[in-house]
Amino acid sequence: MYSYSIRTLDELKEFLYQAMRLEHATIPPYLTALYSIKPGVNQDATQVLRVIVVEEMLHLTIAANILNAIGGTPDLTRPDFAVDYPASLPDGETDFKVGIQAFGREALATFLKIERPAQRPIHLVGKGLIHRKTSPHTTALGNDPRHEDLHFYSIGEFYSTIAEGIKYLEAEAHRVGTTIFTGDRSRQITSEYYYSGGGELFAVTDLKSALEATELIIEQGEGDGGGIYDDNEHELAHYYRFDELVKGRYYQKGDQPGHPTGPQLQVDWEGAYPIKANLKVVDIDIKKDPELREAATAFNTRYGEFLQLLTRAYNGQPTLLLEAVPIMFEFRNMILELIRNPLTNHPGKNGCPTYEIPGSTKQAAVTRQAEVRA
Amino acid sequence: MSSRFEAFLNVSVELTAFSRFDLLGTGLAERYLATLDKMVGGETTDALLAAFAALPPPEDVARIQAVRTTILGNELLGDVTRALIKLWYSGTWFELPSAWTERFGRRTAGATFVVSPDAYIEGLLWKAIGAHPAGAKGPGFGSWAFPPKIPDLPDLDSKT
Repeated sequence: MYSYSIRTLDELKEFLYQAMRLEHATIPPYLTALYSIKPGVNQDATQVLRVIVVEEMLHLTIAANILNAIGGTPDLTRPDFAVDYPASLPDGETDFKVGIQAFGREALATFLKIERPAQRPIHLVGKGLIHRKTSPHTTALGNDPRHEDLHFYSIGEFYSTIAEGIKYLEAEAHRVGTTIFTGDRSRQITSEYYYSGGGELFAVTDLKSALEATELIIEQGEGDGGGIYDDNEHELAHYYRFDELVKGRYYQKGDQPGHPTGPQLQVDWEGAYPIKANLKVVDIDIKKDPELREAATAFNTRYGEFLQLLTRAYNGQPTLLLEAVPIMFEFRNMILELIRNPLTNHPGKNGCPTYEIPGSTKQAAVTRQAEVRA
Repeated sequence: MSSRFEAFLNVSVELTAFSRFDLLGTGLAERYLATLDKMVGGETTDALLAAFAALPPPEDVARIQAVRTTILGNELLGDVTRALIKLWYSGTWFELPSAWTERFGRRTAGATFVVSPDAYIEGLLWKAIGAHPAGAKGPGFGSWAFPPKIPDLPDLDSKT
């Protein structure tokens, strides 16, 4: 049987790059769903999505910290970094598509799958990776970077493999009197550069802090060992926050997974703008909606600049993260405008950000149309 | 989209100097048309839309002059138009002058009111001055350390 264990430092670096890519890939779907909610409704859902999207940003930064700790180079400008939506994520033996869509039942079903607890059913324990052929036109996440067709059972399993790889490689290094944690300490992002970021951000400098970092990502997403809370019982895992919205009821201490018994909450399933799912810039009619198309392109350009800024911040200039904060608020304003504008060619549907980042190879070339402005 | 709503949008673009995308981006265009209908009556709204439709074409230099004489200078339409501009910029409907209500009748309780909480937030005045509304749409922690972003002026030409 093929061993998917991580055996070299280069493999570990590639896994961590894929981890950053995976964490980032969840942000646009959550962010878009959050801003698709109409003013004045769905305050519970807004709160849940906001907390989760901020924690996903934290996970992205934690993955960068681990990569930096072992002397890697985080690069959010690599052509394959930003995914083409809808992208494929692992869901046990099958997979599912994660895309850009409005808040609603369908979006929540997808979000629950993203955060689904990691444990395999008994019949699959010890069975190795899931073999699955993804269409060459679809971005697949959660696979083994060395074998595109071999997928982890869940995101949690993907991270467990990283944690095992770190332990193995550090033990090997110890045997010859060295360490894998050779990264420049000044490249670590800590809470002082990270305002209100969904959890404490600590430097990764050794085995202990690296394992704490991977644990934090797994627990915030899926809960601790199948429980609804993280290890300190402070915080409900993402999966169960989404589950609260589906079930219309809050969890409280002592509840069993799937059976919240807390106060009821209200979800207005119609309280979101009807955005066209997985819109691409080329789908926006250049003659009928020139301003909308220009705004979608401008958003993508700005998002590309944002990824460049993050890359510099993760490569020794952590103070640049402070500049990233106002850009994220700028995104909110840009996304709200896109989402409120109707698409002439798709009656009943509104625009949305497309997250087609300039420079990414899998995306069609998009030309700027500033001169078309009426 | 109804042609009446389309006409309202076109008039609003001309009155505010913001683009159609910007106006729809507030999420309030339908509610502002409804506000106008409620406060001055559908007939007066229609008269305003018709007055715009009767203007010389946009490329004609006579158009801007005609806006002043046949709309802003018109006894019925002038105050209504100014109230509509203020509505778009501030999210607030300002009570029409008493001279107007005495002459054309008070349709509803003459009052000044904010259309909705999001109308305050989406007022075009904030965008025009490159600021965020006080208490909403915050630009983020530490943003005050960076220079303000002054938006480009709309493409105004010699006609104005």
